[in-house]
Amino acid sequence: MSGFLALALVKATPLIFAALAGTICERAGILNIALEGALTVAAFAAVAVSFATGSPLLGLLAAVLASMLLCALLGIAATRFGVDQIVAGTGLNLVAAGGTAFALVVIFGQPGASPEVHALGDGGERVLIVCAFACAVLLQIVLDRTPWGLRVRACGENPRALLSAGVDPRRLRVVATLVGGALAGLGGAFLSLGELDIYSDGMTAGRGFIALAAVIFGRWTPLGAAGAALAFGALSALQFVLQRAGVPSELMQALPYLAALAALTGIVGRARAPAADGVSLD
Amino acid sequence: MLLAIAAGAMALAGANPIDGFAALLRGALGGTNQICETLVQTTALLFPSLAVAFAFRAGLFNIGAEGQLVMGGLCAGLVGAALAMPGWIAIPAILVAGACGGAAWGGIAGALRARFGGNEVIATLMLNIIAGLLANYLVVGPLHAPDATGAETSELPTSSWLPLLIPDTRLSIALVLGIVLAAILAYVFRSTVFGYELRAAGDAPEAARRAGIDLPRTAFVAMTLSGAIAGFGGATIVAGVLHRFDVELSPGYGFIAIAVALVGGLDPLWIVLASFVFGILQSGSLSMQAFAHVPKDVVTFVEGLAILALATRRFVAPRTAGT
Repeated sequence: MSGFLALALVKATPLIFAALAGTICERAGILNIALEGALTVAAFAAVAVSFATGSPLLGLLAAVLASMLLCALLGIAATRFGVDQIVAGTGLNLVAAGGTAFALVVIFGQPGASPEVHALGDGGERVLIVCAFACAVLLQIVLDRTPWGLRVRACGENPRALLSAGVDPRRLRVVATLVGGALAGLGGAFLSLGELDIYSDGMTAGRGFIALAAVIFGRWTPLGAAGAALAFGALSALQFVLQRAGVPSELMQALPYLAALAALTGIVGRARAPAADGVSLD
Repeated sequence: MLLAIAAGAMALAGANPIDGFAALLRGALGGTNQICETLVQTTALLFPSLAVAFAFRAGLFNIGAEGQLVMGGLCAGLVGAALAMPGWIAIPAILVAGACGGAAWGGIAGALRARFGGNEVIATLMLNIIAGLLANYLVVGPLHAPDATGAETSELPTSSWLPLLIPDTRLSIALVLGIVLAAILAYVFRSTVFGYELRAAGDAPEAARRAGIDLPRTAFVAMTLSGAIAGFGGATIVAGVLHRFDVELSPGYGFIAIAVALVGGLDPLWIVLASFVFGILQSGSLSMQAFAHVPKDVVTFVEGLAILALATRRFVAPRTAGT
């Protein structure tokens, strides 16, 4: 049982980080489709920098920066250049997938996967797991109890009102994508340097999209999203158990996505997105 | 600008950019075989791109062309492998099966949007992944074909293959079907009431609603038809190129299609041309990798940047509240 619990926590941690990233972005009005790409570039940057410097901590830092850069591109494109968020996010996912596959060959001289690098180890892994839960609590408090949190929520519900209160919603949205990028960066680094010690193409395997599902299921609150991500993580740990019992693994893998579709129907209680979620400014 | 980035990436990979571009173009256009292969890629991109553009024009974001393509291909592959009929019955049946598969998949997202106001972006994203998992489960599991080596269905009887445009190539009449479809869509948008209603729902939903256009119904119909177009495309890959369904049927055509649709300005006829340009990139990238030693993934990278650069308001109406 403790083995299962440990596996569930390991599977859930990158999802929690990504789901928190999705939550903060959506609460500010940015529907971040590029989370998948953010996890990808983060996982890659972590391994590449750990490979180059021998320091997994620098790898972790690089992951956070790379993911912040990708998410900032989304935020800036969406707020300053009038690019539609969904389209920009899809483009950035392609950029991330193509760019990492390309860089993998250029840096490591081999397609598909990197060699093994210095990873964060069990201690680092545990710190990140605790950090994920801490971030969930912290983000919930920040959103609910601080002036900045109030502004972020206003930015997702009624950006015009924010403007008349003298706050620039564009700037706020970019900052929200930066915060989200940092969180997703931790999640990506956990994938490649925590759970494993290599990067391989496609290793994020749709986790960025599962995170979006978790945001909906968690009704756009940090604690809710983290809870949903934890449930999805447990589900994926359960997969190994149930597969032996003859349950098709594809069904287990599909459950988070099916759950998200169900959430969209409102069958599981009316879930309402922030009013200006995904809506461009001006 | 994009060319410069591509050139920079090639230089980074240790290749001379001029050699890289030359290898790409030679691989895409350097002979009859190469041109035909480029046109095969053009066709594969054309259908999902038309699907994406169709939904865009109606104000809907169909990020799910990839999943609809896979479901269309799956249905086409299953029907095709099971049907032992003369080609003039089997081929239309296969193509219709594909369109139905795609329509069902697009229709789910459309129904969620129409009935519950569910965000079609999220729905189509989820459906993409569910489609891949479902196809994999069926083809590897209960419907496993005895003669299959990988995750694929049985081969279609040769009488069910799409006729080739040029013998001894992979170029089938699917290209012609795609161009005809583009012309039909262009006509629908320009000259029919239905096309006008779709555009009105996309460009000015509030005005459209006041003019008596049933927006939920329009959303459902648009997503279903969009899915049907993508699914039809999946069927043409099955019946025209692979001659069986394979879970690896699409290297992301449904996502690249978004770039194609934007480059084509959401105009069906320009999209034909844009598909050809992206077809060159797709088919030339392998030769670039082989001869100039530039990883082919640079093409995906540049396609993503192209989406970013082109996705300005000129093409895509901003999302309105309540979506």
